[in-house]
Amino acid sequence: MTTVALLGNPNTGKTTLFNELTDKYAYVGNWTGVTVEKKVGQIRHSNTEVIDLPGVYSLSPITKDESVVTNYLLRDSPDLILNVTNASQLKRNLLLSVEVLELGVPVIITLNMIDDLKRSGHYYDLKTLSTELGCPVRTSNARNKEGLPQLKADLVQNQADIQPNSPLQLNYPIMVSQAIRQAAKALTTDYQIDAKFAHWLAIQYINDNKVVRKYAVKNHLKPLLSQQAYYDAQKFADQIFETRLSFIETTLANATEQLHSTKHVAMTSKIDKVVTNPILGLPIFVGIFFLMFKFSFDWVGTPLSHQLDKLLSGPISTWANQFLTQVGALPMLRSLIVNGLIAGVGGVLTFIPQIFALFACISILEDSGYMARAALVTDRIMEMIGLNGKAFIPLIIGFGCNVTGIMAARTIEQPKERLITTLITPFMSCSARLPIYSLFVAALFPRHQAVIVLSLYFLGIVVALLMAKFYHVIFRAKENSVFIVELPQYHIPKLSIVWHGTWDKGKGFIKKAGTIIFAGTVLIWLLSNFNAHGYVTQIDHSFAASLGQILLPIFRPIGITTWQPISALLTGVLAKEVISSSMMVLFHTANQGALIGMIGGSFTALSAYALLVFVLLYIPCFATIGTIKSETGSAKWAAYSVVSSLVISYGLAFLIFQIGSLFT
Amino acid sequence: MNHFMIKQFNGLDDATTQRLHSLGLQVGSDVTAVRFYPFHGPVIIQVDQQKIGIRYRVFKQLTGGDLS
Repeated sequence: MTTVALLGNPNTGKTTLFNELTDKYAYVGNWTGVTVEKKVGQIRHSNTEVIDLPGVYSLSPITKDESVVTNYLLRDSPDLILNVTNASQLKRNLLLSVEVLELGVPVIITLNMIDDLKRSGHYYDLKTLSTELGCPVRTSNARNKEGLPQLKADLVQNQADIQPNSPLQLNYPIMVSQAIRQAAKALTTDYQIDAKFAHWLAIQYINDNKVVRKYAVKNHLKPLLSQQAYYDAQKFADQIFETRLSFIETTLANATEQLHSTKHVAMTSKIDKVVTNPILGLPIFVGIFFLMFKFSFDWVGTPLSHQLDKLLSGPISTWANQFLTQVGALPMLRSLIVNGLIAGVGGVLTFIPQIFALFACISILEDSGYMARAALVTDRIMEMIGLNGKAFIPLIIGFGCNVTGIMAARTIEQPKERLITTLITPFMSCSARLPIYSLFVAALFPRHQAVIVLSLYFLGIVVALLMAKFYHVIFRAKENSVFIVELPQYHIPKLSIVWHGTWDKGKGFIKKAGTIIFAGTVLIWLLSNFNAHGYVTQIDHSFAASLGQILLPIFRPIGITTWQPISALLTGVLAKEVISSSMMVLFHTANQGALIGMIGGSFTALSAYALLVFVLLYIPCFATIGTIKSETGSAKWAAYSVVSSLVISYGLAFLIFQIGSLFT
Repeated sequence: MNHFMIKQFNGLDDATTQRLHSLGLQVGSDVTAVRFYPFHGPVIIQVDQQKIGIRYRVFKQLTGGDLS
């Protein structure tokens, strides 16, 4: 088995290339130590395995995400590294390539997005690049599948056939190269470290690579540790940077060719004139999100949901019922399958169209390059609450799923800001909360569905921002945060890429429907059909009912007058999607229409809104609590998140219901 | 008038300096300020055909101007 690692800067089309190159794509858990998704794929009809590494600017990591790559290179050694670069920004992309080439592992560099480069009127002589860098150089455009057969052929080699690369040797200033040589030699003789690797280790150590420095401490590499003060005092890191940059500049100057047909299409500049306009930027941002919600709920998602629900609650439910009666199944089993599973799991499945529509919209925004602009136009607002525009992206992804949102917070450089973002992300209304909104707005606000749902989303944002400001004051976070965001070229979103992104985000939901929601539904069914004496025919005598009734006095001040919603809310901690299916079971209804009728009967518009606010903000689901724990590395923060969100949600729902009651 | 030269990296924290270096910025680089946001919001600069958004304070520091 040949192992190829894909490595490159962010925004180089690395993930697209990965998806195009590999046919069988397996998600293989997480990288050791951090919960960064580890993706491994296979090239069809081959023994080649491709590992997708997170995008990094250099091997000296600033963020958690980036340290994955350095740790990978320290621990494993791939047979081949495919270095994906953005052809039109080769100068800074090669800074990373140089670091990789110094390692001496076989490398192939591909100039990806080659058409963007051609459009700008430049081209590079590949032969010159290849000689100067000492490795094969290819061109590709993953979006249009250009250059892929060549790359595939390069990657599908037997381990033995791969041409070894000798490490790239740069002419560092004499003092620096002497220091590197001495350290490398000592490492080889005293520690039996492979000469090539020792050389690379020395360069990285001198260049103040935090991960490599930790590695040296852990392995007691004295030749390096003893010289640290000297390296830093001499500012060797700066000299290394300057040498690399001037090498790259010379190389590129030698390789650059001018194209005659300069067809400079300034699409990006034109769009940016409007989208990042100082005044129009924010309204456009709000507008884009409004359209996204209209599309997901009013235009496409909801009508499809209705069709699916009709099918599930009508023919399928009736057919199952008849079938089970015919084969003489126990009434209890029939009830479990028809009223429990088909109603519960099916009820959640009907929200797939809405959730996928929302994920598709988010994928389109990501693929087009708008997300970086969104970070930019929101930075000034985020700065006021002590965060930066980058924190907006995890929050937006949190709309899809809080778990992925919290994971996306890894790109934030400062630990405190990352923690704040992690703590406020659960207030973002994830797609799992949608089913329950949909039910209530259909029952009580049939004419203003989108507006009511949108108001909940905005309320979530407002609460998140206020809490962020609060944490910022409490933690005394530093005033100045790192905010450097790259604005990639715009691309017209491609169907296959958007579909990949949507599926990547949405498959988790389907998996959950088969596992945790399934289990949750069975649990609810048990609770609502049994009590201490055994099977009950009247749900009012069940465990669920008694539990709900015990808690009813606590929930009365926020406008809940029946026990069913309370029992359903308890189950929502398993996964928010479960709330609606629980209601289906608890209210003993078989389809959405009947449930909507029941809800309309037991709520007023005001109490329904208070309940929705409670649902929006209360305890995060199990998966989110787990992610908070793993990302912050402490159970305390997870517990804190549970308690604080419960207090906030109850307080706000209480205020809304009590103040609202004064006016009605 | 919108062209600036990077004069220094002094006064910036290590992470910011490192990230700017990784994006290919060094002392002497020519940058074009494409857009300033109101209320001292972020600045979009263009270097080597790429656009980068940075904070106003960082921009002022890099170009050696007074913080005003």
